[in-house]
Amino acid sequence: SPPSPDRPPGPLSLPPLPGPREVVKVNNYSTTELKNACDDAVKRYLSRPELFQQNHQHTDVRLALGWLSVFVAGGTGLYGYKVEFEQSKPVVWSNFVRRTDRSFSRYMLLTFTQTLYSYFIEGDIVFVGKRKTFSKRIITERITLSSRTIPVSSSSSNSTPSSTITPPQYSLSLSYVRSTSANKSLLAKGKTQARAPYSRFFDAEGGMDADAFERWVGEVVEEGMGGLPASKES
Amino acid sequence: MFTEELKAFRRLGFRHVLLQALNFASVIASGLMIWKGLGLITNSESPIVVVLSGSMEPAFYRGDLLFLTNPAAERYHNGDITVYKVPGADIPIVHRVLETHDGKSRGSSPVVQRLLTKGDNNEVNDIELYRGLDYLERKHIVGKVRGFLPYIGYVTIAMNDFPQLKYALLGGLGLLALVQRE
Repeated sequence: SPPSPDRPPGPLSLPPLPGPREVVKVNNYSTTELKNACDDAVKRYLSRPELFQQNHQHTDVRLALGWLSVFVAGGTGLYGYKVEFEQSKPVVWSNFVRRTDRSFSRYMLLTFTQTLYSYFIEGDIVFVGKRKTFSKRIITERITLSSRTIPVSSSSSNSTPSSTITPPQYSLSLSYVRSTSANKSLLAKGKTQARAPYSRFFDAEGGMDADAFERWVGEVVEEGMGGLPASKES
Repeated sequence: MFTEELKAFRRLGFRHVLLQALNFASVIASGLMIWKGLGLITNSESPIVVVLSGSMEPAFYRGDLLFLTNPAAERYHNGDITVYKVPGADIPIVHRVLETHDGKSRGSSPVVQRLLTKGDNNEVNDIELYRGLDYLERKHIVGKVRGFLPYIGYVTIAMNDFPQLKYALLGGLGLLALVQRE
């Protein structure tokens, strides 16, 4: 479907950043490192000033819960250390046990909450962004990207004895909403998913081809935003 | 060696550094809480101890790891191997119970006992180790030995005798947690 006339500029219409880029090098054999490098590149690419403003809520919640539980644990440790050190008489058990009991359960509660949040609410999400553009009226866009690694899979067909092995792939899913400000009317909504083998973006030494990756991400985002504009700069 | 990691930190921003520091801190925090939780479950302030002397040979040798529990409602009997701490001394002692004298249970403590201990490999009982006390009470007992692992405790002994080893291990683990992103 042809893009609407007041479609804000997508990432592919932006000129590339001037100057040399530092090359990211990862360990090719670790899919964790490959995925992390791709996720970081997505975040860097899409949080350019002309593009989306990143919403750090998930990261901040994880940081807050995590550091809070560290301080609870630290307080428990410090308390245990001090209480026994100061007593030259036998340790007063009940007070120590009760206090330790309480902070232990507080720690468990924090860890449990963290796990639940990260599993159910955060999930695979790597980037949440928002953008406001002004063209006739204020347009608000919201975009959420999640990614995961599709591991190496070998598919063997019955007719041929050999099996084809597909290398690990990076799967990017995107959901996009464009509306007038205050969400009065919905202008566009899209959900796309794309996958590409890691071998497309990483060379044999593990260096990442950032331009190729950003072009691929840009295409996925443009597709989610609703088709590519009429004049595309290649 | 760290240029890649330092470049990554600069590129990824402050939040990322906080996240990586959190990785390291939560490893330590969860280790600490597991230890405290174990102490709560076993009702013992130090449920895993290392044998430092040879006073319980041939049952336990220096370097053995001992696992203790201290159920508040259980009476200890002659022959039980207990770990106790005399007030004023900071090293716990592992010896066998020689005599028990049971008392009536009071409100706060369900079991009231007075104990006398002696090391298997010692000539005399532990009265001289009690620093003025004539007997041990339940509150001095850290726990009763339920199981043991030979030789493992030498790691702790080595780390106590060579503190550089402890700091090297901690530093290495910390470095690993700071740069890994699992």
